[in-house]
Amino acid sequence: MSHRRPKSPNMQNYRPQLTSVLSFGHRLSGVALSLGAFGLAGWLMAGASGQDAFGSAQALLLSVPGRIALFLVTLALFYHLCNGVRHLVWDSGRGFELRAIYAGGWTVVGTSLILALALWTWWPA
Amino acid sequence: MIVDRSDEVPRLKWPRRFPVPRNLGVAVHSRIAEGKSWPAPEGATRIATLRIYRFDPDGMAGPRLDTFRVDLDDCGPMLLDALIWIKSRIDPTLTFRHSCREGVCGSCAMTIDGTNWTACTRAMADLAQPAMIFPLANLPVIKDLVPDQSHLFAQYEMIEPWLHAETPAPERERLQSPRERAALDGYYECILCFCCTSGCPSHWWNGDRFLGPATLLQAWRWLADSRDEGRGERLDALEDPFRLYRCHTILNCTRTCPRGLNPGRAIAEIKKKMIERQG
Repeated sequence: MSHRRPKSPNMQNYRPQLTSVLSFGHRLSGVALSLGAFGLAGWLMAGASGQDAFGSAQALLLSVPGRIALFLVTLALFYHLCNGVRHLVWDSGRGFELRAIYAGGWTVVGTSLILALALWTWWPA
Repeated sequence: MIVDRSDEVPRLKWPRRFPVPRNLGVAVHSRIAEGKSWPAPEGATRIATLRIYRFDPDGMAGPRLDTFRVDLDDCGPMLLDALIWIKSRIDPTLTFRHSCREGVCGSCAMTIDGTNWTACTRAMADLAQPAMIFPLANLPVIKDLVPDQSHLFAQYEMIEPWLHAETPAPERERLQSPRERAALDGYYECILCFCCTSGCPSHWWNGDRFLGPATLLQAWRWLADSRDEGRGERLDALEDPFRLYRCHTILNCTRTCPRGLNPGRAIAEIKKKMIERQG
């Protein structure tokens, strides 16, 4: 053998499927929620340190980028919650038929979108 | 949108792959160059185009992607037939494993249009155009479509895939009721083609220590066997943050099994046994 064996591509070539995409989404939404927790702590600290600081924090959150970030965090929250329930079902040994895997996956996608949009539509702001 | 059986060919035309650069995290010697393009055979009317991963261990170049045009009227219906047709009519150096040509040996497993399947049970009519034919994902390549599976078989050996028994061997075979035998259905049929392990993102990133779906399905096949007396030691060997618990229930394995088995469920059964024995 004249040189090292190459490695066949994995993620660069493998087809995105509901199975893997939702799993990556679960990990990503978990990361987003950790970052969101820092934001929440910052917001509370601003509120505790006086009216001026709270005013600037509110202005930041209610700006367009702030609202987009908040929406993404709520979407991550509901997605992580719904997919977490899906994982609990699997942990009980149920729902492993391919049809159940796909039906459950799409249900999680739909439910988390509906919950996030409903929160933003009806939450008294 | 809903997939019922693993043999359903992916229907979504987009996205075919993740939106990442082709060479993301790929070592220089694994990067794929554009290769040779062979013309369509003369007089052919029904033509299928195959883009095939090539690697020649005797040359100095790295892997490349060759383009072949297959005369569908001159070859059999399955992808394996087309590969054999290419080898006999166009390029005799094209190298791939094959044996049974009916999906029971697992030799011709490869990444076909981005999912793992055996070439002998994938119809040419079900391929994308051009079809992308790669060796099984995430493995060192010996030549062309032949990956080195030594690591996967070493992991398989680790779960000691044979009967563990303390009791002396009976005069004749160790007996099993039909019901006990039925507990092995869906697990004993595994042909060790490693489509599932090669398609598991967790195994891509932690394959050095995570055993992967094929080996864990086999581990469950022995744990579920009423004749086996090694359950405790078998579970001890799997109780590890990596060997078993790097399974994050992604379930690419169950989606890609050419035998329609369910490694995801087998792994869940092992995890349940782990909990049960903690009381």
